[in-house]
Amino acid sequence: MKHAVFACIALCALAAPAEGEDLVSGLSQDQIQITSNYAGTDIVVFGAIESPASAETASARDVVVVVRGPDTAFAVRRKARIGRIWINRDKITLYGMPSYYFLASTRPLTTIASAETLQRYQLGLANVTPKGESTRSIRKGAPFREAAIRIRERQKLYAQAPAGVEFLGYSLFRVRVPVPANVATGEYTAQVFLFRDGSVVSAQTTPLFVDQIGLERRLFNFAHDRPFAYGLATVLVAMLLGWGSSFLFRRQA
Amino acid sequence: MEIYLPIAEMSARWLVLLGMGATVGFLSGMFGVGGGFLLTPLLIFYGVPAEVAVATTASHLTASSMAGAVAQWRRRVIDFRMAGVMLAGGLAGAWMGVQLFAWLRKLGQADLVIAAGYVILLGSIGGLMLNESLRALRAAKSPTPPPPADRHNWIHGLPLKMRFRTSRLYISVIPPLVLGVIVGILSSILGVGGGFVIVPAMIYLLRMPASVVVGTSLVQIVFVTAMTTILHSVSDFSVDAMLAFFLILGGVIGAQYGVRAAAKIQGEMLRVMLALLVLGVALRLLYGLVISPRDIYSLTVGTP
Repeated sequence: MKHAVFACIALCALAAPAEGEDLVSGLSQDQIQITSNYAGTDIVVFGAIESPASAETASARDVVVVVRGPDTAFAVRRKARIGRIWINRDKITLYGMPSYYFLASTRPLTTIASAETLQRYQLGLANVTPKGESTRSIRKGAPFREAAIRIRERQKLYAQAPAGVEFLGYSLFRVRVPVPANVATGEYTAQVFLFRDGSVVSAQTTPLFVDQIGLERRLFNFAHDRPFAYGLATVLVAMLLGWGSSFLFRRQA
Repeated sequence: MEIYLPIAEMSARWLVLLGMGATVGFLSGMFGVGGGFLLTPLLIFYGVPAEVAVATTASHLTASSMAGAVAQWRRRVIDFRMAGVMLAGGLAGAWMGVQLFAWLRKLGQADLVIAAGYVILLGSIGGLMLNESLRALRAAKSPTPPPPADRHNWIHGLPLKMRFRTSRLYISVIPPLVLGVIVGILSSILGVGGGFVIVPAMIYLLRMPASVVVGTSLVQIVFVTAMTTILHSVSDFSVDAMLAFFLILGGVIGAQYGVRAAAKIQGEMLRVMLALLVLGVALRLLYGLVISPRDIYSLTVGTP
């Protein structure tokens, strides 16, 4: 199946007119469905570079793949020791942070492009910045931003793979993107950048949808759309189970 | 086998959830307590967000106390009037507690208050129970008659008296109302039924006959925890029905074996064991508050 896809892309690449380098990319699936036994999955971003590829031109180009989750706000809190116990003290809210961020590149980012270029395209965990902050002081916010990225990395929701782009020959490449179980739902984007000599020569964006389906989705919607009915239903089921068990108990005793 | 918990937003092994429910059910069947004080910390240790743990435990308690209440009702040992008065206080308390809880969440102090509340509550109750039951164990060896109970205390001086026929009492409605409020707040903030608070209070403060106490407290717990579940669903969407279902299923099975096991152990010994268990949970939570955290920063998604 996957080979067929690659073959198709290779053919397309050959068929395209050779007017400089261009990029074709796609996803192994454009939708991830979180079901009851979802425990994380991998998606594959693949693509081809349309160019008269040869060993010497291949060495000067780089591919960077970024998958971003829908933007969200993070409330980051810092604990302080008061007396003998640790208590949450300072809080900064970071608005417009990606809920998921994965970056793969052919080489370490700093060797691909200048710091300004990387910053302009928000490439790399160091360049994941909030669109707004509840503090005006840049200096005060910095440790909170770093902590947010560190925590998301620990949760496997932010990751960077400096050698994650795998080339099959000169023109075909693929990237394995791990999507853990705790991802947010919503619209994701997969961006593919083609760099040559430190600047972006081509880029492509593909949407990816992460959805909860089945019973979980219905429960989630129920809980948020009609919370009173949801609470009441939970209580009634609980009472019924408790009541039923007392019968079971009497029969056995 | 993993299942996805839609409200807790995590996947969990359903066997673990069933096992946790069964363990707590076993202990609650054995000791005749609801077990909320064990289940909430267990869920938090497992990684369930504290607010989901508290709110979901409330629905677990509805089920387990329902089972107990039905059994007591068959034996006709429930003072419905007393339960009603306490419930009125309990519902008000649950409402206040949920408001307070939402406010604490906004401040980012919900986890701290839950942990500290548990340490204080379990520490003092565990200590009292251990002290009492050790004394009883010693007294059993050298029997001395207990001091005669004082029939009248300050409770009898309060106004708004009401007759509670089943309990053979004529007392003010204020103490049971206040008791209800306290338990309602405890239930909504800490996710406990509060049986270990009301039962001693009903015996020692209200002087209710011990035979009526258990059934009456169970009825009140059923409705207070039901109310807490609904209020939490409405105010902070933190009740996970999927999680609740597996916990209840495990709890129902565990409770039956617990009751049987209890019949084989000496009563005082049972109380010493329960006291040690309660103290153990309190110490574990205290440890969590005082050790240096691995990361002093923490992150919450969204703007609570």
